[in-house]
Amino acid sequence: MTMTAVTEEIKTEKAAANGPSGKTLWLLAPGVLWMLLFLVLPLAMMLYVSFWTQTTFKIEPTLTLKSWITFFTSDTYLGALWTTVRIWLIVLAATVVVGYPAALFVGLFVKNKTLQTVLLVLCVIPFWTSFLIRVLAWRPMLGKEGAINMILMKIGIISQPIEVLLFSELSVIIGMTQIYCVFMVGPIAFMLGRIDPSIIEAAKDLGAGFWRIFRTIILPLSMPGVVVGAIFVSVMVLGEFATSAALSGRKVNLLGNIIVTQVGSLKWAFAAVAGVVLTILMGAVVAALLRVVDLRKEL
Amino acid sequence: MSAVLQLSNVVKTYGDLRALDGIELSLPEDSYVSLLGPSGSGKTTLLRVIAGFEQPESGAIRFSGKDVSNTPPHERNIGFVFQNFALFPHLSVYDNIAFGLVNRAVDPVTDMKLLDRKVRDMISLVGLAGLEGRATTQISGGQKQRVALARTLVTEPQMVLLDEPLGALDANLRARMRSELRMIRERCGVTFLHVTGSETEALAMGDTVLVLDRARIAQQGDSDTIYNRPCSPAVARFLNCYNLFSGKMADGGFATAQGLLGFQGHPQRAADPAYAIRYDRVDIRPAGAAATADEVQIEGTFIASEYTGSAVNAFFSLDDGKVFEVEAHLSHRAPENYEPHRRYALAWKREDALVFA
Repeated sequence: MTMTAVTEEIKTEKAAANGPSGKTLWLLAPGVLWMLLFLVLPLAMMLYVSFWTQTTFKIEPTLTLKSWITFFTSDTYLGALWTTVRIWLIVLAATVVVGYPAALFVGLFVKNKTLQTVLLVLCVIPFWTSFLIRVLAWRPMLGKEGAINMILMKIGIISQPIEVLLFSELSVIIGMTQIYCVFMVGPIAFMLGRIDPSIIEAAKDLGAGFWRIFRTIILPLSMPGVVVGAIFVSVMVLGEFATSAALSGRKVNLLGNIIVTQVGSLKWAFAAVAGVVLTILMGAVVAALLRVVDLRKEL
Repeated sequence: MSAVLQLSNVVKTYGDLRALDGIELSLPEDSYVSLLGPSGSGKTTLLRVIAGFEQPESGAIRFSGKDVSNTPPHERNIGFVFQNFALFPHLSVYDNIAFGLVNRAVDPVTDMKLLDRKVRDMISLVGLAGLEGRATTQISGGQKQRVALARTLVTEPQMVLLDEPLGALDANLRARMRSELRMIRERCGVTFLHVTGSETEALAMGDTVLVLDRARIAQQGDSDTIYNRPCSPAVARFLNCYNLFSGKMADGGFATAQGLLGFQGHPQRAADPAYAIRYDRVDIRPAGAAATADEVQIEGTFIASEYTGSAVNAFFSLDDGKVFEVEAHLSHRAPENYEPHRRYALAWKREDALVFA
């Protein structure tokens, strides 16, 4: 009996070692094909085009480093890269600061599961309107004669409208934080909801106060949620161009805006360079975030 | 012996449900107390109220001379061992045990040498040496139980509450952990309050046994008293060793569906009258056998029997459909074979019966 069991085991191991069976390959085929055609190929193409020769009106497949050199010597492009990184870091921090307490409330302090779901759905409700409306709705809020300035002037806190509210980096950050915050709240609330309440009670019983418990138990156990949320927010903010275009009055140029402008004026090689830089940046950010927490172990 | 914990008239309600209905309780110092109750009797609520996780609506909780009714759990110095152990999943065995000492709000241990000594002493006391670095997912159920206990004991609580601590273990391990828990308690010298739904566990472990029934303490006493002289039919029912007949007092006995059943002595006071006879006090005879004057005899149809090694439990169906259980200890006699669907006489001595009225 034991012998046969052992032989069976060896057989299965051998089958596994021989590679996936025919059935597995068929299951993989559509996905692999799709990714090859619409992800790997375009990425390779983008990298290739970034080395083409760009003249004012046309682009030729003669390989050159000119576009790359232009990109890394131009203040405009390097400035855009720096702005992108800066806005990304600020928005990421802002979504954590705004999102974590909200998630803590929904995931840990709301004991009723139905109420939890209702609150999470409430977070998603802004997404029932279109992206553009959500962004543009900030204009009458933040503008010189917008709601916030009007209210502040009415109650006499300020005598002059605050002009920096709209068409500035601040308005871009406010807009992005509002739009992407929910992607931070969701994963964190999910991880917090999975913490066994008796673990927190055990910590209380062992004598720890709330902040101690938060730092030693709740925060470490919710880190995978923060990392997943940070990946969502990072990928979306790094690729952003619409919010900055609509709320900065073209004063804030992100790499995404550079790409849009370059493509608009048919400068494909420059656009490709910016695209490659952006892709590498995103890849590095995601890789770094994944190093923080071993998601495969945690989820 | 002085009392370490005193509860007076503690009431806890959830909506319309009275989970604790005027609990009066006094636990002695340095002893093992087991709390027996069927599921839904309020055992866990009682523990949670004592630990401070739940606030009672009324009543006072005095712990080592102080009123702790409004003290938060982390300042009570009462240890709680959870049914599912509730180990910190992201910490190693060592860090789980060190957690309380390092992180408690009152008098945390900052001297790393002292901390290490205390943790290592506790690890060897509960027999976890060699597993310090393991993750809590890499140890067995019995080891998790020990970590949960060690984590609580290392903070030197004045009392430890255990919520069905053996419930998550398999039968073999349960038996071994029983004696180990008692041994560990003796070495620490604190009071353990052990909640369980198993009557054998409660009787085997407790120096004092409390029986909880419908949100009240039904009886408090040593194992022997509880087992032999349950104070109410409900307590007798939880002990799972009494055949109970409902009925009422009548001339010359207790009137039940089986007729008039005789008894000796005075009936005990209880809200719902009942007649109880222990499983192992009943003699099985062929139908129609004569009973002596000091015996009570009824008849029943044999259904089946269950062999447990040291004893055989035989089940009989009485004329009103009630199941009657008889336990025969095999140290006294060889197992007898009864024929299914055949009638037998079931007899017991009048003096062995307990009557509640």
